[in-house]
Amino acid sequence: MSFEEVDKDTYVVLAPEGKFNMVAAPTLKTRIDDLVAAGKARLVVDLHKVDFIDSSGLGALVAGTKVARKQGGDLRVAAAGDQVRAVLKLTNLDRILAPYATVEEALHDW
Amino acid sequence: MTGDGELGGKEYVLEGFAVPDQLDAVHSLLAQAAGDNPELDPMDVMLFETAVIEIANNVVEHGRPVGEVRWRFTVRVHEDEIEALLDDTGQQFQPRRGEDMPGEDAEGGRGLPIAEALLDQIDFRRMDDTNHWHMVRRLGQSPQI
Repeated sequence: MSFEEVDKDTYVVLAPEGKFNMVAAPTLKTRIDDLVAAGKARLVVDLHKVDFIDSSGLGALVAGTKVARKQGGDLRVAAAGDQVRAVLKLTNLDRILAPYATVEEALHDW
Repeated sequence: MTGDGELGGKEYVLEGFAVPDQLDAVHSLLAQAAGDNPELDPMDVMLFETAVIEIANNVVEHGRPVGEVRWRFTVRVHEDEIEALLDDTGQQFQPRRGEDMPGEDAEGGRGLPIAEALLDQIDFRRMDDTNHWHMVRRLGQSPQI
């Protein structure tokens, strides 16, 4: 899986593409860990190019949220498609990963 | 491979190794089934795919010996349900059925609970040195999200 990364100084937007699954999740998780370790703890994961997420992808988002919050930041998800929204709701993860409609909305107080 | 399966349903089959790269082939098999059967509700297909992939992940992740486990997927589209059979040559094991969905902080353990929530029937048995999963989602009915 490839993903775009845009560093806006006060936040970073990560935009994975395709299937956010057990193959792709470790790569994104490692990148999130590196960003947070470098002091970039405000992260938006733009999911508009993700057409499928599995439990490994969810696990990477949860882990990323925990590490970002531990450093005083947060991880927010934006532009999730139907499948991602359905799985977030099914797993109750929409409580900690409330999906924002757009990246701009996710940035509202940053 | 496609054809008419038992009970008149259309059948789609995939055989190969249970390795990460083959997960795309499972997605493609389900996409083929959906494309050939436009009467299927996209929501049913999407949720069925979500469940089936979790079981496939489980085989890829935990099946031993790594890289040597073979699997055979069969997807059947019936008038009132969609069905998948997954047979794999991995080691004997006992899936932990009926577990609650893990809490929000958990980084793992959601695969089987997701599959169980999205399927109307999910059965596992070990027979002839092979693990057999049987997964069914009834069409146009609960459980919905």
